[in-house]
Amino acid sequence: MSAVLQNLVNQPYKHGFVTEIESDIAPKGLNEDIIKLISAKKGEPAWMLDFRLKAYYQWLKMDEPKWPNVKYPKIDFQAISYYAAPKPKKKLSSMDEVDPELLRTFEKLGVPMHERAALAGVAVDVIFDSVSVATTYKQKLAEVGIIFCSISEAVQMHPELVRQYLGTVVPVGDNYYAALNSAVFTDGTFCFIPKGVQCPMDLSTYFRINTEESGQFERTLIVAEEGASVSYLEGCTAPKFDTNQLHAAVVELVALDNADIKYSTVQNWYAGDENGLGGIYNFVTKRGLAKGTNSRISWTQVETGSAITWKYPSCILQGDNSVGEFYSVAVTNNYQQADTGTKMIHIGKNTRSTIVSKGISSGHSNNSYRGLVRIAPTAAGARNYSQCDSMLIGDKCGAHTFPYIQVRNQEAKVEHEASTSKIGEDQLFYFAQRGIGSEEAVSMIINGFCKDVFQQLPMEFAVEATKLLGFKLEGSVG
Amino acid sequence: MSMSMVVSNSYLDSILKGQPQLPPSSTTWFNQLRAHALEQAGTLQVPTTRDEEWRFTDISPLTRLPLRPSHAISAPQVTDVKRFQLDDTTIRLVFVDGAFMPHLSSRLEGSEHEGLVVTDLSVAVATHASVIEPHLGRLAGFENNLFAALNTAYLHHGALIIVSRNAKIQKPVHVLFIATQAGTAIHPRCLLIAQGGSEVTLVEDYVALQDEAYVTNAVTEIALENNARVNHVRVQRDSMEAFHIANCAVSVAHASCYRSVSVALGGRISRYDLNARLEAEGAECFIDGLALIKGRQLADTHTCIDHAKPPGTSRQSHKCIVDGAAHAVFNGKILVRAGALRTDSAQSSRNLLLSARARVDTKPQLEIFADDVKCAHGATVGQLDHEELFYLRSRGLAETAARNLLTYAFGAEIIDRIPIASLKYQLEQIVLEQTEKTGP
Amino acid sequence: MIREGSRILLEVRGLRAVVNGIEILKGIDLTVRSGEVHAIMGTNGSGKSTFAKVLAGHSAYQVTGGSVLFEGRDLFDLSPEERARAGVFLAFQYPIEIPGVANSHFLRLAYNTVQAQRGKEELDPLEFEDFVRDKMKLLEMNPEFLDRGVNEGFSGGEKKRNEILQMALLEPRLAILDETDSGLDIDALRIVTTGVNKLSTADNAIILVTHYQRMLNYIVPDFVHVMRAGQIIKTGGKELALDLETRGYDWVGAEQPAMAGA
Repeated sequence: MSAVLQNLVNQPYKHGFVTEIESDIAPKGLNEDIIKLISAKKGEPAWMLDFRLKAYYQWLKMDEPKWPNVKYPKIDFQAISYYAAPKPKKKLSSMDEVDPELLRTFEKLGVPMHERAALAGVAVDVIFDSVSVATTYKQKLAEVGIIFCSISEAVQMHPELVRQYLGTVVPVGDNYYAALNSAVFTDGTFCFIPKGVQCPMDLSTYFRINTEESGQFERTLIVAEEGASVSYLEGCTAPKFDTNQLHAAVVELVALDNADIKYSTVQNWYAGDENGLGGIYNFVTKRGLAKGTNSRISWTQVETGSAITWKYPSCILQGDNSVGEFYSVAVTNNYQQADTGTKMIHIGKNTRSTIVSKGISSGHSNNSYRGLVRIAPTAAGARNYSQCDSMLIGDKCGAHTFPYIQVRNQEAKVEHEASTSKIGEDQLFYFAQRGIGSEEAVSMIINGFCKDVFQQLPMEFAVEATKLLGFKLEGSVG
Repeated sequence: MSMSMVVSNSYLDSILKGQPQLPPSSTTWFNQLRAHALEQAGTLQVPTTRDEEWRFTDISPLTRLPLRPSHAISAPQVTDVKRFQLDDTTIRLVFVDGAFMPHLSSRLEGSEHEGLVVTDLSVAVATHASVIEPHLGRLAGFENNLFAALNTAYLHHGALIIVSRNAKIQKPVHVLFIATQAGTAIHPRCLLIAQGGSEVTLVEDYVALQDEAYVTNAVTEIALENNARVNHVRVQRDSMEAFHIANCAVSVAHASCYRSVSVALGGRISRYDLNARLEAEGAECFIDGLALIKGRQLADTHTCIDHAKPPGTSRQSHKCIVDGAAHAVFNGKILVRAGALRTDSAQSSRNLLLSARARVDTKPQLEIFADDVKCAHGATVGQLDHEELFYLRSRGLAETAARNLLTYAFGAEIIDRIPIASLKYQLEQIVLEQTEKTGP
Repeated sequence: MIREGSRILLEVRGLRAVVNGIEILKGIDLTVRSGEVHAIMGTNGSGKSTFAKVLAGHSAYQVTGGSVLFEGRDLFDLSPEERARAGVFLAFQYPIEIPGVANSHFLRLAYNTVQAQRGKEELDPLEFEDFVRDKMKLLEMNPEFLDRGVNEGFSGGEKKRNEILQMALLEPRLAILDETDSGLDIDALRIVTTGVNKLSTADNAIILVTHYQRMLNYIVPDFVHVMRAGQIIKTGGKELALDLETRGYDWVGAEQPAMAGA
């Protein structure tokens, strides 16, 4: 694959700026005192500290997972600062009081906040180096009984709800990074949709890592009660640093009877430079519990950033007739490594799941789909359909497919298909012969390839994702 | 070779106790190979379910089986093994509990004139050393494979088949391994070398004359030189209590074509690892498999088709029919190395569950490092198609008959690819019998 | 049709080209004027398809000698897409499938790109839909082909119709039809050639690359050129095609070796 493809790829990362805001950073390293410090800074109740310490002691006994198809130097967890908050100048009561420097940051990021938030009809919670800065539209949501706030605030204001659900989907000792997150998470988003309420607008959080030596460990908890529904969007960016930052988030979703949660992510953390220097290690645990009958959890992700992505948004389909969905586009370039996919755990009767995964590899990158479909003995009538397609651009990259299919019930039906394709010289020539240049041709082919996933995204996100892919892969074909 | 080595695991210890002292060979490299393999075995651990490659197959029952050396019993007579003979096969090598049985094998003297060497490895090591040495113990590496290492450490008798350049052997070569004693560990070995432009069909057949527990630990190596064609049929019908571990390594050279059909019927726990490496341009392989299991059986098939050079073609269809509380495992890897452009590969894993307690773990797997390739795989798990059942019943078939017919058809698609009429017939009868016993 | 006062569209002089280091075109001379229809005939491997691809700018073919002027401009200064925008159209022998990219989207993008180049009005999706449906009637194409991926799962005949549909949309100055007749049954051949004839004007020109005479019963050429081993070895009128049909290709070179390279 020729130079046009390769040239178009390496567009500068447009979110790579650092915001000059005074940060309140904890000393580097992790021990019981740091955890107590985090908990104290946040004024947490004792049960929250217990939760953290329990996680910490489990973490100490665990090893980093070795099975992902990714390679990176050993992380020194004592060289990371586990708490970095922009120093609040005073208590904020409205958007107008937010540090204008921060607001300018969001302008640069294209975050639809403040006036633009109103136009876009999006309520935004902004997480800046682990601390929630502002949440818009809280009032309007409160009128219908929806709680949408930072998780710190929720611990203070709605402790009974947080305590009831936190750690029930991703237990503190679930895996190495989830345990770490449970011990040290500093902020995140809490969202509660009460019985029968259809959330009137898309809820959205933007995450940004701004400090060079901090990790970001945010925690998201979304609960949809009986008959409730919500669509939640998440966007991520980080500045350029030569060092690697760790991002180890945990997201838990709980859907009760007839509830519906749709979770969409556009992840564009800094991916490192063209030689693989720097970039975010994105080690994230996302899991939804479709607890109730007829409940539905749908994950859509567009993963374009991060030096390393290790992420498997999963669904535990516990309620009878519950539905799990996973739609994913993962793009890797240069020396990026992505090992991503999903787990669909079918427990209830007549549970259904759909997996559509599109992986695009270029440069020297490696892109792996890893997915588990498990049909428990109880899941009579369960159905799964998986489609995993890979596209390779250039001959230095790798595309891998690891589907694990485990069936313990004869009345289940599982189907998996995977294919590999490339953007062919001949396809580009065909476009050129009709007057269409290679950039536009590549963009059309890629968008065609990802169509099934983009269709799942809310409109503004779909537009953003399309543009992002354009940026990402421009120049990689030709 | 020395048996006085320090062993790192107690299993190896018990294996060693269960093994007769081997006579040293007159060939130095052969002795060295065995010694090296034994040494290597001493450094390796018995795999557990914590190893990704053994994740679903717990072989701890195997390690708990007390082993003893096989004793010289009165060898079975021709009448005892007649039922395993294939009518259309006159070239036959028979091994009983690992030992070569000339009186049960076909007379081999004349066959060399037709471009074919079929003989016992322990003899041929001296007489055909220059042909054997480049392949034996080299195709099936044992650096990280305890079972291949053990087999190689106990290399003695075995089947050697050499097909001379451009020889086209019409009759299949039937290599029959018969197990007769409980509590023994047998290490069957096959080496097939198909020289340039030659053609041959090999039937590797594992049978038992008793129903008790024993260990078969087989290694097969197949080298296809340029423009060679090999049909490899493998039938595993060990006893229902046996442990069957097997490794097969195939190297496929320029414009040569390897076709294999493997059928797993027996064994309490069976594991078959097939690695085919497409080494040069225009190499092709067609790998099909069927596991038909019931009761408490576990059948695990791991295959790796390694596309090392452009352009290669591979096709694979693996099917499992699982009844009772049996457990089928399939892990099929397609590897396309950097530079293996224009590779064309397709793989399917289809699984039929016949009972509520049956279990399947399948993992078709693509690892691709080249862009100009066509690779696809698919996997399905399910029960018999309700529409098909309904259609047959609407034509008057009883439900049981309809089920049997569909189950049979599911398996027969693989068996039909076996190019030997008599063997196909035998296997079809087995499938038919098994499906008739099952039912709702 | 040869007309008074026609302009030279294409002027090929001594064109040589190699693919994978093997010389396929060994000095081709050809002049095409507006309003003309040229047929290039020859056996498989004579270089006629290579000639078509070289004119369109396929990167697998390297030009090693000679020149090609298109409306007075050096064609080799232009990238493949610039040639297309300038009005050179190649109907491919084997149109490639592009899964996932909707045919309607592709056609509209191509159309608007070329329109913009000519300073003409671009069409929005709704306007284009009406416009393209009209053109599809010409080729008796089912509108459902708009919603499918580009050529994805099309039969051989459907692909060829889709090619001529693009010709109708892009209104090229020079259309090169590479074996457009191959794989067409008699009805499809009639539909496709009728379409081509309707698109033929005094301002444009057509080069038909074909193995057989049968398409020339429908699209009557002004000139017939016979290619062999990378050269045009004989040029004549439409009756030459009939001669080739009855006598085969062998006699041509034998009769007039001196014509080589003329």
